[in-house]
Amino acid sequence: MVFLQLFLNGLQLGAIYALTAVGFSLIFGSTKIFHVAHGSAFAIGGYIYWWLASKLSVPWPVATLAAVIAAAAFGLFMERLIYRPIQRSEASFFTVFIAAFGASLVIQNLIGTVFGRGMETVTTPLSRSVEIMDGLFVAPISAISIGVAILVFVALSYFLERTHVGIAMRALSQNPDLVRVFGLDPGRVAQWAFVIGSAVVVPGAIFTAMTAGLNPAIGTHVMLVSLAATIVGGIGSVRGAAAGGMLLGLAENLAYWKLDPQWSEAVTFVVLFAFIIFRPSGFFGSPSTAK
Amino acid sequence: MFTYIVNLAILIGINAILAVTLNFILGYAGIFSLAHAIFFGIGAYTAAVAAMKFGADFAVATAAGMVVSGVVSLALALPALRVRGEYFVAASLGLQMLALTVFSEWKSITGGLGGLIGIPPARLFGFDLSDPVLLLALTLACLAIILLIIRALVRSSFGRSLKAIRDDETAASALGKNVALLKTLAVMVSSSFAAVAGSLFSFYLSFINVESFVLEVSVQIIAMVIIGGTATLLGPVIGAVIVLLLPALLTYIPYLPPTEIGSIQQMIYGLAMVLLMIFRPSGLWGYGSDSDKQAAP
Repeated sequence: MVFLQLFLNGLQLGAIYALTAVGFSLIFGSTKIFHVAHGSAFAIGGYIYWWLASKLSVPWPVATLAAVIAAAAFGLFMERLIYRPIQRSEASFFTVFIAAFGASLVIQNLIGTVFGRGMETVTTPLSRSVEIMDGLFVAPISAISIGVAILVFVALSYFLERTHVGIAMRALSQNPDLVRVFGLDPGRVAQWAFVIGSAVVVPGAIFTAMTAGLNPAIGTHVMLVSLAATIVGGIGSVRGAAAGGMLLGLAENLAYWKLDPQWSEAVTFVVLFAFIIFRPSGFFGSPSTAK
Repeated sequence: MFTYIVNLAILIGINAILAVTLNFILGYAGIFSLAHAIFFGIGAYTAAVAAMKFGADFAVATAAGMVVSGVVSLALALPALRVRGEYFVAASLGLQMLALTVFSEWKSITGGLGGLIGIPPARLFGFDLSDPVLLLALTLACLAIILLIIRALVRSSFGRSLKAIRDDETAASALGKNVALLKTLAVMVSSSFAAVAGSLFSFYLSFINVESFVLEVSVQIIAMVIIGGTATLLGPVIGAVIVLLLPALLTYIPYLPPTEIGSIQQMIYGLAMVLLMIFRPSGLWGYGSDSDKQAAP
């Protein structure tokens, strides 16, 4: 029973991780920008929701919309005002990475100064657990987060397969010059990748706010998970990132069976390391991505 | 006042060692590690344990720290450097988190969250170095030796190979360089020397706990290297001076609540990193157009 409970908790956490990792993977896959400030979009979305819904008692659909807009605006801001000026003069992985890292440092401390450094949660009846079987507790929020994750994922797949922007985004990952030849502006496509990639983390951020809670440093944890999920799933594969996120969420919870909670990040690290050693191309990556 | 300056100078010296050693991999080999504070910590804990349990003097304690730190860095670098640069970033971030948990949980060795208290003052070849001025001299001597070694390494064929790998990994391996081996060695050298800073830190404070080795510290060391200038010999030292004088300067700004200083300090580093990357990627000390920063394509 303990196992089943942990498994269910793991599915819920995995859904949140998958939502986060998918955004990172979408951005990295199509623009090749190692957007380590992605965790900041998560923190911004989560805190905006918390502030509106908990402090100002704004209805949840409005708060959600505001959080999505804030996260997407952050993504757009990073692309337009930071990554693009850097890439204009030089495109090394390093400079982009350091700038992204600096930006996430600013956001993390800004959030701490504005909203306080404590743990904040959005209280909702949805996170109250109900005993559905003997000793098995499930909160409605678990089902909702798994459902939303599937919904977002289906919508995203449809978007990438069927719409012009989505197809252009996949084309950008393959060959930016060819995108230009077809009369599309690669810069505009990259912007779309940032807007959508940043917006999809918001559901995960809101569910985290309702369950485990938010703190200003959450961006770093989200970053580690997104990076790990992207590597575990295979760099550049959105499907892989979702699977990787789910695997990490499950692994983290199943580890509670034997370990204390403070080891949860260690579990992520062990899974990541196992993949780096035994299957560096991840679940769905082509072997060529390994180098 | 004099003691205050000596203490600040010791801290600057220790941090300069950390910045210089991180710059060796970050600036010259193009390897981005988020776990430098962990190697600092391993050096500090190993030296402290060696001194407390076995009465080791500074040289022995430091050597022990270097060995342990080097071995742990191998465990990180061997698998993570066979693959792309992004993997190492992720793996080092993972190690930073994991090792911090180990530091705070392995109570019999590290003293848990409370840390290790009562580390004896440094002794070197029978001389007592408990006087802060002598310890400052020792710190500066260590910094100077490490700077000389790194300068020699950078100018050697090893250093040239690292720079070649940083600039174009495919070309370097096509020329017969064993990329993975060279990078792993670079990480090992950097981590072992970072342990020297850890040992100095233990003997200086006579008390260490997890707080000194958290992710923020790794970030602060990165900030020193970036602000000062990557791939320059003295840039990281200057970066260390700037970053450590910053909090002292911030206290002079009126109406600034003391609780916010740490936060504002980190915002300044973050902003400095972003702005430097946009306008001056080679750092403050770096040359306007360093050869390693390729011009626009």
